[in-house]
Amino acid sequence: MKKLLFVFLILASVAPLVMAEVTAKDLAAVGPTSILFWTKEGEADQALQFVKLETDLFSRLYPNITFEVANKDVEVLRQDFQTASLAGSAPDLLWTVNDHTGPFTTADIIQPVDTLFNLKKYVDAALAAVTLKGKVWGIPISNGNHLMLLYNKSLIKKPPATTTELLALAGKMPAGTYPLVYNQTEPFWLVPWLGGFKGTVFAKDGITPTLNTKPMVDTLKFLKSLKDRKIVPTESDYNGADTLFKEGKAAMIINGDWSLGAYKDALKDDLGVARIPKVAASGAWPAPYTSGAFFMLPKDLSGDKLTAVRGFIQFVTGREMQVEMVAKLSRLPGLKDALSDELITSDPILKGSSDQMVVGTPMPTVIEMRANWDAMKPEMAAVLSGTKTAEAAAADMQKAAVAAIKSLQ
Amino acid sequence: MEDTLVVRRKRSLPVRLLMARIEGESIWFRLLVNIILIAACVIALYPALRILAVSLRPHDRLLSTSLAIIPPDATLGNYHSVLFEKDFPLWIWNSLLITISTSIMGLILSATSAYAFSRWRFHGRSGFLIFLLTTQMIPAAMMMVPLYIIAARLGLINTYTGLVLSYSVSSIPFSIWIMKGYYDTIPSSLEEAAMIDGASRMYTLYRIVLPLAAPALAVVFLFNFMNSWNDFLLARIMLQRPAVLTWPLGLQSLQQQFQTQWGAYAAASILISIPVGGLFLFTSKWLVSGLTLGSVKGD
Amino acid sequence: MQSLTSQIITNSLGQVGLTVLALVAGVVLIELLVYLAAGKIFHAKNALVYMLLAPAVIGLALLIVYPIVLELRLAFSNMSLRRFKNPDYGLAQGLDNFKLIFTEPVLKQVMFFPVFLRTILWTGIQVVFHVTLGLGLALLLNRKLLLKGLYKVLLVIPWAIPQVIACLTWRGEFHFEYGFVNILLKAVGIPGVQWKSDPFWNFVAMNITNIWLGVPFMMVICLGALQSIAKEYYEAAKMDGATGWRKLRSISLPLMAPILTPAVILGVIWTFNNFNVPYFINENHLETSDILVTALFRAAFEYNRYGFSAAFAIVIFLILFIFSAFYIRFTGALKSVRG
Repeated sequence: MKKLLFVFLILASVAPLVMAEVTAKDLAAVGPTSILFWTKEGEADQALQFVKLETDLFSRLYPNITFEVANKDVEVLRQDFQTASLAGSAPDLLWTVNDHTGPFTTADIIQPVDTLFNLKKYVDAALAAVTLKGKVWGIPISNGNHLMLLYNKSLIKKPPATTTELLALAGKMPAGTYPLVYNQTEPFWLVPWLGGFKGTVFAKDGITPTLNTKPMVDTLKFLKSLKDRKIVPTESDYNGADTLFKEGKAAMIINGDWSLGAYKDALKDDLGVARIPKVAASGAWPAPYTSGAFFMLPKDLSGDKLTAVRGFIQFVTGREMQVEMVAKLSRLPGLKDALSDELITSDPILKGSSDQMVVGTPMPTVIEMRANWDAMKPEMAAVLSGTKTAEAAAADMQKAAVAAIKSLQ
Repeated sequence: MEDTLVVRRKRSLPVRLLMARIEGESIWFRLLVNIILIAACVIALYPALRILAVSLRPHDRLLSTSLAIIPPDATLGNYHSVLFEKDFPLWIWNSLLITISTSIMGLILSATSAYAFSRWRFHGRSGFLIFLLTTQMIPAAMMMVPLYIIAARLGLINTYTGLVLSYSVSSIPFSIWIMKGYYDTIPSSLEEAAMIDGASRMYTLYRIVLPLAAPALAVVFLFNFMNSWNDFLLARIMLQRPAVLTWPLGLQSLQQQFQTQWGAYAAASILISIPVGGLFLFTSKWLVSGLTLGSVKGD
Repeated sequence: MQSLTSQIITNSLGQVGLTVLALVAGVVLIELLVYLAAGKIFHAKNALVYMLLAPAVIGLALLIVYPIVLELRLAFSNMSLRRFKNPDYGLAQGLDNFKLIFTEPVLKQVMFFPVFLRTILWTGIQVVFHVTLGLGLALLLNRKLLLKGLYKVLLVIPWAIPQVIACLTWRGEFHFEYGFVNILLKAVGIPGVQWKSDPFWNFVAMNITNIWLGVPFMMVICLGALQSIAKEYYEAAKMDGATGWRKLRSISLPLMAPILTPAVILGVIWTFNNFNVPYFINENHLETSDILVTALFRAAFEYNRYGFSAAFAIVIFLILFIFSAFYIRFTGALKSVRG
């Protein structure tokens, strides 16, 4: 009798794991369903095309399930999802970045996925990036989303390994070519350097901002010096940097893994990947934020739509599609099993990408991070345009972040 | 006052220049005037020509420092992409539906009520008119939060109805004001004559006054059309789903921070600007006089 | 991607058609009810008047009065991202909101008064430029010209182009590398200006764009006003030996005033509340380029501070109201209403 009870308990504990996956039968039984699907992947990166490829393949397997795919920039996606969800008009599926977990859980508009999927399949670091308050809020698609140094081999044979070498490139490029370009408008491109100067945006508790620090001041001064020495253009947004690099007017670009697909297409074998140069003053490697791309489910998703969405997520994060993603988009997979595929170990681009990831740091998920981003952005712009000193900017950043966190209560 | 008995013949250029001289303006002055005006025209026109230039550039050379208006490798690829690969027809359709509904609503609610304001003096009339004037001052930006909350609670976000109702907030007071101003210029003697002959008030309103007010009705329709057609702010708040986007939101989606599609944006802009601009130029006289209709005092 | 399928067409037509039909039916129903009620129940003399007014009054009550009341209520709440479904309402929250507007940054760093002053500066600069350039162009055009028709068409193009397109286009043209403004500047030897990241130049860029957009309107109004002035006045003045400048000051301007004044007032209000130009030209979201209405939008929809922004909106409205009250008192515009 005891033995029976024992066996029953074992089975009962395993059952949720087994039942967590939807089967092909479940999917075939679903009625005609249309899934409204918002993704941060864009056309210019060749990634939106890949997303559509996946939805097409899935719809071919299960003709009852169709998708309406829309691309929205990361910030627009966050705002629109909040605006629509609060009004009860949310889409059915999101493909987005991990730091959206904070705002979305605060507004209570996404649902935890612990019981809906077999989470053991996924890379632990990736899952950690979407874990908040003890629950998991997203399914990893790709791991990384990190910045790295991409270079054009035809313009620069060996990229600089330290900031000293980087600064020495001033004036060495042919006329009309910049040594380096990057998106000078977003603090996402500032934080790697902050890590390189051994600074962090949060204190040890993970929610108190620490922006008014010497590392931050040093970072801001360093970025300004890149501009002053004409290593980077006087003013450059994402699009400008991207175009300059694709057109061969910039030797190097600091950009993320989402752009690898398009650059492979444009530069072919001339594309090289390396770590962002080590900061000579501190001897530390810059630490870009690592997260990844994740599926997130709106709170009220249920019934047929939920089944369809779960089936699609399983499909996209299945080994076959993950390897396909590695091949096409050069991104590291979120599925543990796919990490062992020989593609990853043999592709130099991927090697470089994971090499950078090793020295990266996980992007904070808490909603207080939002306050940090919003605080850093205008101050970074002010320092770069020369209207504020680095010290004043760092002090103002801290004030703004603290004020913002207060207003979040 | 023109001398109507004298037939005006088109005079030749030298004669006209001479007459200008006689009128006290030197040729040099005239030349200067023309030069300034031409310069102003270039300033006015150049950005529009730039959109045209970008729209004609091939896909792989959208960002460029060339200032050529017609690039040497001009192509219609962007137009093709906008019309057949992007949701451009859908955006135009959505905009048309919403705009026409708004204009109809504005007409329906203003045509008859403005008549009442014009023809009768009643309790609270001036108060109500001042209220209408005050609402003109309220920017859409001020109403956006409550409108959003109301629409959210009624489930009208991402629907056409929600946006049409939001536009009606500003179109109705404006329409009433314009129509009342126009009714004021129609002498009431016409209706009085008809009523003496036995016609009812409603009959005179529908058969006599409304037809006479047709130009004002057209102006109201046109104004509401142009205002809601070009609106961005309220649409941004009410619509997020791709299926219901209006063209301003659609264009913005082509100009996102990380995904700027310059060529498609430029082509879509040209496709929208030409009919809208043409309509505008064609009716600009009406639009201008419509704005000053309200300040004409008829009584 | 959504293509315009016939299904979408029929669906949307159905939805919209239903709304319009419901509206027409509603209007007719309301009018009937009011007429019968007023006539039979209240024995009012002017049952017809009430009938005609009813739909508009009800419509305005629902569409304007109700939202305003809701805005007042929201201003006294702490509705935000965290508390959307169940905010706390109360005097405490309201006073807190109003206090925050003036004591803490309304966005991340910028305080209320700088934004307010910037809005006034923006409005002032714009109106001055619109009127002077518009009047100037109108004066130039107010004569027989060979290409007058062509000039009039071309000069109106900035007004004819939809504002969103003009704003997005100018935003692109202020790009450091690829926009024509810097390309032209570099061609004459001036180094490129950082239109997007420098607060001062971004403000200048906003102003340039809005001047380009707004002058045609003023020009058309002034031209219409000029052309309505009878020629005899000028002939009489010429006989008295008046110079061009004198004619302008003593004849043209005073006689243009009835048409010009309302246009200028409209211009002031439109510029004060202009959302598109500051919002789009400010691509990098510099808080130093925000005017009151864009700050309000950001507070509400980018930072989700709904209660706070409702209070903010009321403050903005009070500012406009005070301005209009002064204007009405000064010019006696109400006389035409009471008449």
